[in-house]
Amino acid sequence: MKIIYKIFVAAALLLSALACEEFTPVFTGKYPEPGEYEKVTMTPTHTIAQLVAMYKGAAKVIEEDIIIGGKVSTSDRSGNFYRSFYIQDETGGIEIKIGKTGLYNDYKPGQTVYVKCGGLTLGMYGYKSGNNGGSGMIQLGLEDPEGEYQTSYMDVAEIIDRHVFRGEFGDPVVPQVISASDLPGKNDTQATNRYIGSLVTLKGLKYANEVFALLYVDSNKDTKLSSNRVFLSDETHGITTWAMSKNKYKEYLSAGLWDDVKLGNGNDQNYGTVADNKEQLMNNPGAYSVSQYFTMGGSEIQIRTSGYSRFADTEIDPDVLAGTKTIDVTGVITMYQGSIQFTLLDITDVKVND
Amino acid sequence: MYKRIFFAFTALLLSVSLWAQTGGVRGTIVNRSGRVPVAGASIELSEGNEIVVRGTSGSDGRFLFEGIDDGIYGMSVKAEGFVPAHVNVTVEKGFVKDMMFVSLVAARNVVEADDSSFAEFDMDDSGYSDTPSILFSNDVYTDIVGFGFSAIRFKNRGYNSETQDVYLSGVKMNDAITGYSPYSLWSGLNEATRSKETTVGNEASDYGAGGYNGVTNILATPSSVRPGWRFSALTNSAMYRLRLMATYASGELDNGWSYAFNVSARVGGNDWVKGVYYRNFAYYAGVEKKFSDVHRLSLVAFAAPGQRGAQNASTQEVYDLMGDNMYNSNWGYQNGKMRNARVRKTHEPVFVLKYTATPTENLEASATILYRTGKNGYTALDWYDAPDPRPDYYRNLPSYFYNPNPDYDRNDAFKAGWAKEAWLSDWNSTCHLNWDRLYNVNYNNQVLQSDGTYLNRSKYAIEERRVDQNDVNAAANVKWTVNNWFTLAGGANFKWNRTEYYKKLDDLLGGDYYLNIDQFAERDFASSPTMIQNDLDYFLEHGDAERVGRGGKYGYDYYAHIRNAGVWANGIFTHGGLTANVALEAGYTGFWREGLLRKGLFAGLDDNGNEIYYEGRKLTSYDSYGNVISSKGDSEKAEFFTYSAKVGASYVFQGGHRLYANAGYYTDAPTFSQSFISPRTRNTLIAGLETSKTVSADINYSYSNNGYDLRVSGFWTKIMNQTDLMSFYDDSQNSFTNFAMTGIDQRHLGLELGFRIPFFLNGLSLQGALSLGEYIYTSTPRMTQTIDNSAAVVFENQPVTYWKEHPVYKKSMVDGVETYEVDLAGNYLVDKKQKHYVPSTPQIASSLAFNYRTNSYWFFTVEGQCFANSYLDMNPLYRTDMAVAGPDGIATPVEIEYMAAQEKFDPVFLLNASVGKSWYIKRKYNFGFSLNVNNILNKTNVRTGGYEQTRLIDSKSGERYYRFDPRYFYMSGVNYMLNLYFRF
Repeated sequence: MKIIYKIFVAAALLLSALACEEFTPVFTGKYPEPGEYEKVTMTPTHTIAQLVAMYKGAAKVIEEDIIIGGKVSTSDRSGNFYRSFYIQDETGGIEIKIGKTGLYNDYKPGQTVYVKCGGLTLGMYGYKSGNNGGSGMIQLGLEDPEGEYQTSYMDVAEIIDRHVFRGEFGDPVVPQVISASDLPGKNDTQATNRYIGSLVTLKGLKYANEVFALLYVDSNKDTKLSSNRVFLSDETHGITTWAMSKNKYKEYLSAGLWDDVKLGNGNDQNYGTVADNKEQLMNNPGAYSVSQYFTMGGSEIQIRTSGYSRFADTEIDPDVLAGTKTIDVTGVITMYQGSIQFTLLDITDVKVND
Repeated sequence: MYKRIFFAFTALLLSVSLWAQTGGVRGTIVNRSGRVPVAGASIELSEGNEIVVRGTSGSDGRFLFEGIDDGIYGMSVKAEGFVPAHVNVTVEKGFVKDMMFVSLVAARNVVEADDSSFAEFDMDDSGYSDTPSILFSNDVYTDIVGFGFSAIRFKNRGYNSETQDVYLSGVKMNDAITGYSPYSLWSGLNEATRSKETTVGNEASDYGAGGYNGVTNILATPSSVRPGWRFSALTNSAMYRLRLMATYASGELDNGWSYAFNVSARVGGNDWVKGVYYRNFAYYAGVEKKFSDVHRLSLVAFAAPGQRGAQNASTQEVYDLMGDNMYNSNWGYQNGKMRNARVRKTHEPVFVLKYTATPTENLEASATILYRTGKNGYTALDWYDAPDPRPDYYRNLPSYFYNPNPDYDRNDAFKAGWAKEAWLSDWNSTCHLNWDRLYNVNYNNQVLQSDGTYLNRSKYAIEERRVDQNDVNAAANVKWTVNNWFTLAGGANFKWNRTEYYKKLDDLLGGDYYLNIDQFAERDFASSPTMIQNDLDYFLEHGDAERVGRGGKYGYDYYAHIRNAGVWANGIFTHGGLTANVALEAGYTGFWREGLLRKGLFAGLDDNGNEIYYEGRKLTSYDSYGNVISSKGDSEKAEFFTYSAKVGASYVFQGGHRLYANAGYYTDAPTFSQSFISPRTRNTLIAGLETSKTVSADINYSYSNNGYDLRVSGFWTKIMNQTDLMSFYDDSQNSFTNFAMTGIDQRHLGLELGFRIPFFLNGLSLQGALSLGEYIYTSTPRMTQTIDNSAAVVFENQPVTYWKEHPVYKKSMVDGVETYEVDLAGNYLVDKKQKHYVPSTPQIASSLAFNYRTNSYWFFTVEGQCFANSYLDMNPLYRTDMAVAGPDGIATPVEIEYMAAQEKFDPVFLLNASVGKSWYIKRKYNFGFSLNVNNILNKTNVRTGGYEQTRLIDSKSGERYYRFDPRYFYMSGVNYMLNLYFRF
């Protein structure tokens, strides 16, 4: 009997010992908090201005071991920047096409970021042939196998982590206040005007009573088809918000503001009006970006806002729309086919002047 | 006439009986479940402490004692494999007292297993859930199938878990909210809950008329626990590492008291699925007192507190990248420790007070009050405006970047290659949760507070979804043997349930607080400060959303109120070997939702019944019928009256043959969980809720004699008018939607066979089971889809066209290309209609095993199992006209055959074996072991279930949609279970 008992106890103890081994990998108590990430320090080989100067009018895969560094100047928190951020050094700024959402969680505004450019691609968005290799925005991303754009997003975590490195946190970039004479001309790029791609403040902008937006009758269908497109341009079309979310779009549409607008591209406009296609438009609502036109000095500035941004439906001050008040704005100057497109970081970057 | 077997008189009694008026006692010993005669039971009649007569039952279970004096006797019955029974008998006026049936409850030495063999899978919001379909009885078929088929997740007759009625001490325990059988409440208490009574299929029970999938009643009273001490230690490689258990039961003491306790611990992980672990404990304590011979009172308390890490289903792409079908995406390393984000945490004590009275020998009555309370939580990652942290998120996979079909418009082989490389090398914790990153995001998210200080707002947190029940039950049962041909059983029951659903902040992952706003509402109403509020009242009072700290409630908070009441009766008629019964049941179910928070999206009316405004804007919203959509306060009450009727007949032939048949019609109320469109956010009930209706019948033959056991059954069941509900992100709407489906019918047809036969050698037997079924959907349900954020209706009462079947079109080879045939009018020709099947169980399952037992208590078993015709759970979205036809609205044969098809799993053959031995020492101590090795062929490609994702992929052509890959669960490869026990 005693032997049996001993055998039983011994066996039970053995099993217990085996089980305890499990507690090491599968720990179920209080987990110690992980340490903070170590900050990377690198020495840039090139300034951003030197890098963008390498762009010569076509997508360029960078083969050299080039390192650039700069502070994160934008945030995708409000949704007006999406899947990318800008970094800027003393010489200029450039968009890094990361491809992930919620980037401001991992790349804080003001944080120094280093980019190992070898293997990445320099390319231009909003390309239009120009004197300086094109008039659009030079970006850093990956080669686009489709060739539809000059760059594509990095998208894959391992690609991002092998090229983009987080350095020390720092104070946010202080926007430079620039005057009308500092504004880029239609042939300027980051290589020729250092304010393009940088965080700047523009003062005294006056409303120009004009918007631009491209809507689709049904975004599930081919969005390049003329019959599927509605251009809102040349006038305000009753749009008083910075952009339009899906709900705001439906609101505008049902108010009948665009009923007379014809469907179609350019002269290809034989598809009836918005009123004729109202039901289909209502059944396929979407959020749409809007360019609100302003002037600063003699220059035209489109403030372009994404329909997915949190402040899309924010009303522009009626006094501003009426032209009785001007605004000061802070954001990034970008170029699109020779036009200045200004991107706000958030609605708090708009200040109405008395 | 009655066959008389052994019986012995003492000489004294014999002589006394010459003077006294003498009568007798007779009856039939039957197995309580199934009423199969029990042969060779030993029967004793005693008066006080003195044994008057002994005997055993015959092969037909019958016994007869004659020459017994008038008086009151105690009769005890013992039989191998049954719990001993004790009844009182009165012999009067010299008549032979006919006891009719004396039923015994099986006390099988069941295979060591518990509900944890049904590993709790993480089904997310797939609408999929299942719990074990275990049956307990000493019926030969269910003996083999009960545990033997659990690894493959076999469902008895294809029925859902909620169809199986599970009673404890006479109280129906099926979950008030979902109807599921709640085995987890007593998991780990194998000894205390071992004694059970079971009926199969449509048979009625002594505790309730029951449904069409049997009734199991767990006795759970101290006197039903096997007396003595028992210790066991168990280790296994497929669930948890170790189980330790101790049990003691006093048996019934001379003073009428009995008491029992059972405690256990189940701890550790397993060899197959990483991140899964147990830290479960269980306790049971009960005391019982018998007062005179008439009254019996017992009080029992038990619970199975603990926590366990859950497993997650992934797509085949992920399993292939990992080279492991047991991959679990729920965990990651935190400071070198494995941490699972999905943990089930429970502690739900149950208290049972039971009173039993046997005022006369032909009347037995009992009343039970049962209270269930405690907490039930399930943790999950929660995040706000930050990347999806789950490693197997579809954008992290190679397939997101490249697909050989150009219509997917995924052409970036370079990125796909890097995505694959990251999985293969586990780059920066690609394969597992990256806890370090989650903490660092929270560390760095400093937010300026109104008082000028900075606090860290957590972007990632662990939430605990709580479902805390308070469940009060009362049940009373009476069984009255009216005369020698009629017995009436009946009862009444009542249930009061209030369950609170809410989220609790379990861990801030290094942050200081989590903001209580609805990020899904924010997607559509980012610019509205009120619409995004989870707790609008808090916002209106404080001007800001609540900052929730660790342990705080947030998200949603509501009560489910449920009331159930029912009465039932079962009349049993006996004549000779013929038994017939008629059972009727009537019930009431009522439930409603009580929102405890006012959600910004559905503000409703204020507490005084007025519309709510904020900064001049009306927050109160109305549905298309002009009714206020509200989130706070009481919803409309859903009420249902249900009834069921069943009849059965059984004939026992000489020599152990029994032929029996049952049929029934049942109506069942929908459950709370199936009835509210979006219970997290609003009070809206699904329109047109109705009871489901079921017709079911079975016919059976059984044979039990001389070591031979056989049962053959045929069954047919039609279940009509069921409701199902799910919530998912619909890519065609770009919104989170609620999808309610009504009018689901299914038909279950099948054959069951179980046998056990002695085989040449003494001690060797061959046993087998076969379940051959066809479980199909037979209706075209209707669906209503609404947008979760706005309650806007997308589709109202539309058919789910391809739910029950889809056409397969005729094809022929034209110039070497497979082409769909058309008739002269250009219509495609239908070749056949492909049926769709009830999923997640093999519809063909079989087992064949050799058992060998020696006289020295060794046993050996080798078993082969085959499973086939198992299907993947269908997502109704893929069976709608919208998804099949694609954006262009034209349903082509290619699209129909692709989108509507149901996946069938490959058939599988498994080999299992077990060995065991018991040693008896001085007839008092018993020591033994058993070792089971399952899946000896180490098949690691056996799919046991899974679900289709509800997402759609746009095509480049704009003509059609593609599916997301389904997610699967796999069975563990070769695994063992070793059990050591010691008993005295």
